[in-house]
This record gives sequence, structure tokens and C-alpha cells, in this order.
Amino acid sequence: MSVRFWKFDPAISYHILPPFVADIQKLGHRSSVLSISPCRCLCFSRLPSHCQRAAAAVQASYNGLHKIDMHRPCEQSSSLLWVQPINVTRAQKRGGVQCALAAATAVESKKILMMGGTRFIGVYLARLLTEAGHEVTLFTRGKAPITTQLADESDDEYKKFSSAVKHLQGDRQDFDGLKSKLSGSGFDVVYDINGREGAEVEPILEALPNLQQYIFCSSAGVYLKSDLLPHFETDAGDPKSRHKGKLDTESMLDKKDVNWTSIRPVYIYGPLNYNPVEEWFFHRLKAGRPIPVPGSGLQITQLGHVKDLAVAFLKVLGNEKASKQVYNISGEKYVTFDGIARACAKAGGFPEPELVHFNAKEYDFGKSKAFPLRDQHFFTSIEKAKKELDWEPKFGLVDGLTDSYKLDFGRGTFRKKPDFTADDMILEKLGKKVTVAA
Amino acid sequence: MAMQATVAIADHHASPTYAGLSSSSFGSASQLRLSSASSSCIASSSSLFQGDALYSSSRGGALLLISGSKRRTQLGAYRPAAFFPSVRASSSASTPKKVLIINTNSGGHAVIGFWLVKELQSRGHEVTILTVGDESSDKMKKTPFSRFSELREAGAKTVWGDPSNVGAAVGSASFDVVLDNNGKDLDAVKPVIDWAKGNGAQQFLFASSAGIYKTSDEPPHVEGDAVKADAGHVGVEQYIASLSFSSWASFRPQYMVGSGNNKDCEEWFFDRIVRDRPVPIPYPGVQVTNISHVKDLSSMITLAIENPAAANGTTFNAVSDRGVTFNGLVKFCAAAAGKEPKIVYYDPKAAGVDAKKAFPFRNMHFYAEPRAAKEKLGWKSCTNLPEDLKERFEEYTAIGRDKKDIKFELDDKILASLETA
Repeated sequence: MSVRFWKFDPAISYHILPPFVADIQKLGHRSSVLSISPCRCLCFSRLPSHCQRAAAAVQASYNGLHKIDMHRPCEQSSSLLWVQPINVTRAQKRGGVQCALAAATAVESKKILMMGGTRFIGVYLARLLTEAGHEVTLFTRGKAPITTQLADESDDEYKKFSSAVKHLQGDRQDFDGLKSKLSGSGFDVVYDINGREGAEVEPILEALPNLQQYIFCSSAGVYLKSDLLPHFETDAGDPKSRHKGKLDTESMLDKKDVNWTSIRPVYIYGPLNYNPVEEWFFHRLKAGRPIPVPGSGLQITQLGHVKDLAVAFLKVLGNEKASKQVYNISGEKYVTFDGIARACAKAGGFPEPELVHFNAKEYDFGKSKAFPLRDQHFFTSIEKAKKELDWEPKFGLVDGLTDSYKLDFGRGTFRKKPDFTADDMILEKLGKKVTVAA
Repeated sequence: MAMQATVAIADHHASPTYAGLSSSSFGSASQLRLSSASSSCIASSSSLFQGDALYSSSRGGALLLISGSKRRTQLGAYRPAAFFPSVRASSSASTPKKVLIINTNSGGHAVIGFWLVKELQSRGHEVTILTVGDESSDKMKKTPFSRFSELREAGAKTVWGDPSNVGAAVGSASFDVVLDNNGKDLDAVKPVIDWAKGNGAQQFLFASSAGIYKTSDEPPHVEGDAVKADAGHVGVEQYIASLSFSSWASFRPQYMVGSGNNKDCEEWFFDRIVRDRPVPIPYPGVQVTNISHVKDLSSMITLAIENPAAANGTTFNAVSDRGVTFNGLVKFCAAAAGKEPKIVYYDPKAAGVDAKKAFPFRNMHFYAEPRAAKEKLGWKSCTNLPEDLKERFEEYTAIGRDKKDIKFELDDKILASLETA
């Protein structure tokens, strides 16, 4: 059985966790710590020495997502174990504290096929799955490296992951080839991260008749635009939208006699994002340029961190509640367009940006995109996932954008070079000058 | 900072008290207040592995409560959590309660009392509604007060009086629940709170306002978000919390539609649409607000009254679960009236009008979500704005308001400013 510790006060963990972990391991279970509440930071060196020893013991037994860095004080990062000033009660000093133990849903080890998985969501999800003891095979054409080391991943961790994860080479658009490659392969679960059209599902289902679960990465883009928001999973889809292929895939899965689950993210962000969401803002902030925002800037949208999304994908695995269900997965709060610009500035330590509002109808930008997000309100309720999957986003918006900045753009890496053509058209029309650092 | 822990539910077959519990009873972790180490709500770890009722569950989850040092909640007195802090709200009326509502004599909140009395009476509770002021006052000629005979027909008592002297109005009567749906600051509500405490009321409820939330780049307003420091309602909430009623809760409403409303809401739009006038909307019209049918508030407060343990210590956003844009609201009102909407956008400053007088809603995103009620009470919203507005329009015409002679001075000023612009 795999035992996971959830959301506990790290200060308590230093007293309680080490003997617990030991007990659990003695009973033959694997243990891992999946999430830790962020809280105020205390320098490790200021911890009482018995806590330092306990913390070291936790680190030794720690086998989870988040790292414990004992020597980096007072930083806002979810990948650090934060330490709350310890308020040790008499009971704790006497060792009289008792804890009940949380045992996560025991999911036995699965043989998992992931369609895609080398670029963004899959990068984090594959790690969660291998750490949880599953066997993961990525199905890709092999054009991109199967694995890449994360910015905050040690060489040892990366080595462990890259040697655990398997690769099956092929082109999923070659339906016959796909079917023959998968026949008899014995995969228990499929994570379809890069599927676009309903027809793509058939060869996989035909090749894997005993499939336990088909988990599909859909999109909130399937929702029909509405004056009443947020979108709930029961809202109407738009059969004419750009994402109708995703909607088709969901219907296709529902028609087949397969245990399926569909996840609908909104805008995903985080380190390694290949869609220029936060990157678009960071480029302009770094260049000291004003940020053009269409309309009033009051349009409300929703960003969700890729790591929170990966955890949601993990939570539906082997979960009876998730059978034939759709879940919106994104951030806890929504945000205005103006608000995203300000949040990105905070995340990257930039000064408050100048926002320039423009009327998109007055321009013909050609192929250049003037703004990375759809010009409308676009947000969903995540209450179904929170209620049924016992999942909730760990990252607030500024925290999450900071994570993305620190581990990606802030290190000088990005996917798309900046294109300020549309920006310059707007600024010229509005008679604004740009003083840009060379 | 409040402690956080996840709480999974034990196999409810083993504990009949909690029959009917579902995953909807999981409170959000941040709502839990953890007890101190000495509380009885901690189970030993070994018992979990012995197949204890605590351990097994249909979902394989088990109970975790981590003890920790006491924390003062933001609102004052610390309360140890119950073992299963989130009790599923039952849908049928529990023990009948004696409820006293102190009701405002004007404004948007007046209609809440009107609907709540009816709902509570229909569910077997005994309600007295104390309206502030005199029964003979001119204010009583407007709805809902002009329809208070309906409340008496439903079995409720209607009295009038002064909140600073509740005893004079209700005599020696005692109540299980007191709801103040009148005051906006401690000066107005303290006498009611103190009287309720002295009177032995177990539960105190307060109709606050979602208007006290600080504006933010990140909608919606969620329970727990920062509130304006100078808001009078905050002081009231803190005072109630400090007095250790068995149960207390605060409700933060926004705008409401519903029969018997004292303050115009949808009527403002119907007035213009039915007379084929353009509807002036402050630019850009995408501002999101929350328009609830008042029955949502009535059902939420009723659930809190019938499930005091689940509601205790909570502020609830008393709103529907959908936001609507100004543009969308005009569209729905026009559809209800069977007309095509005509919108003109304006900037209140440029038009030289006071935005508060020119338009019935705040000129900004003002959008709260009822997350606490859903999580803690299993409450569901019944507002369906497009349908509700149809019913509202029927009443609008039935009372002849569509024929009424109305002056549109501010509208005309706005339209004139747009022509000369």
C-alpha cells in the first residue's frame, strides 16, 4: 500500500513524522509526502537542535514531490519545505501527541501508456506516476528528447526518472500502425495528453480491449460562450468551437464501453510552458515595454499551474468516482487581464507595468497575435474536482507565476522569441513612444 | 494561521449517526479549526491498522486529524473542532426552532426577511419578525411590508419596535435563534446581540454584506478574503464571535430579485426596455455581478438554522453560484420582456453623473461565490436568472408598472452627453 501524508503543519511533522514513516515502512508500505502547506519560513539553523535532527530524519525518509532544502531560508517557493515557528505544547514535549494516519486511496501499480508526455503536462505527470510506483511508457514520434531534466531536479533524481520511464516510438496519426504497436502490449491505463480528434481514440481502444481507464486531456475551450459564468461541467459545449475535436473525443469515449475520465484545463502555465501565456508578459516586462491589453482589461479568465494539473491527473487514476466524469481543473481564483500583467510583474520582480488598452477592431494585425488570451470572459468552477477528487490547487496566481519565472523564464529560457510587431502598431496608433533598453 | 489538515470520512455504515454523509460533507481544509492535543478527537495510529471503523471506507480514505497548538482564529475565540466537523446538512426540518428576525424597514435586505419567514414557517418553525420603527410609518406602505398579512397568514408574528429595546417589542418571549437583518455596524447590532445572549438564544445570525470585501485583481470574492478594515459589519462579526453562542454565522449578500423587493433591481432595466428606451450601461458592460433570487438566501439561512453545528463560526457569501455581466443582464431582461435590447455605453465621469445614482449596481466587478455554503451546508443554488426574470416581468406588468409615468432625468443627461461627445 502506498501511504501519503497530506497537508500537515511541517512544524508538527518534525516531531511526529519520522517515527510514523518508520512504522509505515516496517509494515511494508511505501510512503511519500505529497503536499505541504506553505507557511512562514524559519531558517533551519534557528530551529532547536532536536528539530534539526528530526528534520534531517524527515528528509532521509522523504520520498515525495517537494524537496526539503534546509539551507535556503525565507523564500517563497512551493518546492521548499517551509518551516513554521514551532510552538511546542507540553503534550508534544512529553511525546503525548497522537496522530491518526491518513492512508490515500491504495492504487496498485499500473502499466501506463501516455500519448505524448515529453513537453509540458506529461513532464510533471510522468514523474508523479513513476514516483507512485507505476510503469510509464511515453508514446511519441521521437522528435523531441523523451526526457529532459527540470531546472530544480538533481542529477540523481533525473537519472532515476529517466531510467524508469519507457518509450514507444510511433506516429499516432498512423491508426493501423498504432493499433498494431499497442496490441498485446498489456497497458492497464492510457493517459491521452495530446489527442485532438475523436477518431484518434478508436485504434487505441481496439488494441487494448482490457483497458482499465482512458484518461483524456480535454479543454475548457469546449464550453459554449455564456453570459452566466463560471462554466460548470454540466454546461453546454460548443460544437463549432476550435476545440470541437476535444468535445468529439469525449462523446466518442462515452459511446464506447470504456471507463473514461476527461479533464478540462483552462489556461495552463508553469515552467516549460510552450504556449506563450506568462512568457508573453515576461518578454514585455523584461524589455521594459508597456503591455497592450485589448478592450478594458476587465475580461476575467483563469490560470492553472501545470503541477496542480498533474496532481489532478494522478488523483483520477484508479478512482471509481472519476468513472465517466468530466472535471474542470484550474486555479482557485480567476483573474482579470490587467491583473495577470500585474501578477507577472510581481512574480518576476519587475516594477508595476504600464498597461495600454486598445480597441482590437481598429487594427489588422495579420499573422501577429496582439494578445495571447481569448478576448472574452473565460473561467470555470473547479468545485466538482475539489469535492470528488479531494484535490485542490496548491499554487496561488503570484506564487505559481513566481515558480514559472524562477524555473524557466528567469533563467533565460523561453520557447518563443518575442515579436513586438503588433505592440508597435498599437503604440504608434495611440501616439505612445517606446523607450526600450537596447 | 489556521492549521490545515485533510479530513476523510470513515465508513458511514459503521456509524449510523452519520448516515447520509457524502463527500459533500468534506469541509474545505482551511475551514477546520484543529483542536489541541488533549481533545478527544484524536485516534491512535495503531487502531487504524486494526481494521478500525475509522480506517475502512468505500473510497479507501481514512481520517486524519493532526493535533497542534491552539491558534486564535481571525475572529477571536478559539473553538475546538468537533470530531467530524462537517456534518451533512439534512434536507428535512429538524427540531422546530423559535426564530426572531430583526428586519430593516427599507433597502435591499428587507425582502430577505419576507421570504425567510415564509420558508421557516412552512418548515414548522415559529417565527417572529420585528420590523424597525412604527407600524404606522410611511415606509410600511411599500413592499414587502405592505404584504405582511401574508406572513401572519403563514402563522408568523409581526411586531414593530426598536432594536435597542428588543424586550419591549417581544415581551417575555424567548428564542432559539436570532437573526439581525438590520444593522450595519456595532452601534446598531450590539443591543440586539446582547439582548439575544441574555435571552438565552443558542444561535445568532447576522446579515452582513459582500460589499465589505476589498477589491482585487482576482475574482471572485471568497469567504476568507480580505475585507475593508473600516467596514462596520466586520466589527459586528467579531463581536458575535467573541460571545460564545452555541452557533453563530454571518451572511454576505449582494443583489437580489424576488417578489416583495423593497429596492429596485431588475425593475430599473424593465422600466427602460418596456418603454423602448436605450439602456445606459457604464462602459464596458462586461463588469460581472451576482444577482440572486432571494429564495437562495432564504434557503441558505434556513439550512444554517437547521444545522447549527455545521454553520457555526462561518461567514457565508449569500449569493447564487453564477455571475452575470451587465450586458448579459440587459439581454436576459429584454428577452423576458420580449424585446430587443438597446444598450448605450457611457463613462459616468465624462457624462457628469454620479455613477451610484445613474446605475443600480456598483461600477466594477463585484462578484462573490457561495463556496462556504456549498461546502459546509451542502447548499445548492436555485437561481436561474433567465427564467426568474420572466416571472419578475410578469409581476412587473401585473402591477401596472409598465404603464407608470417615469422620469428618466439621469438617462437623458447621459444620452445628451453622448450626442455632444
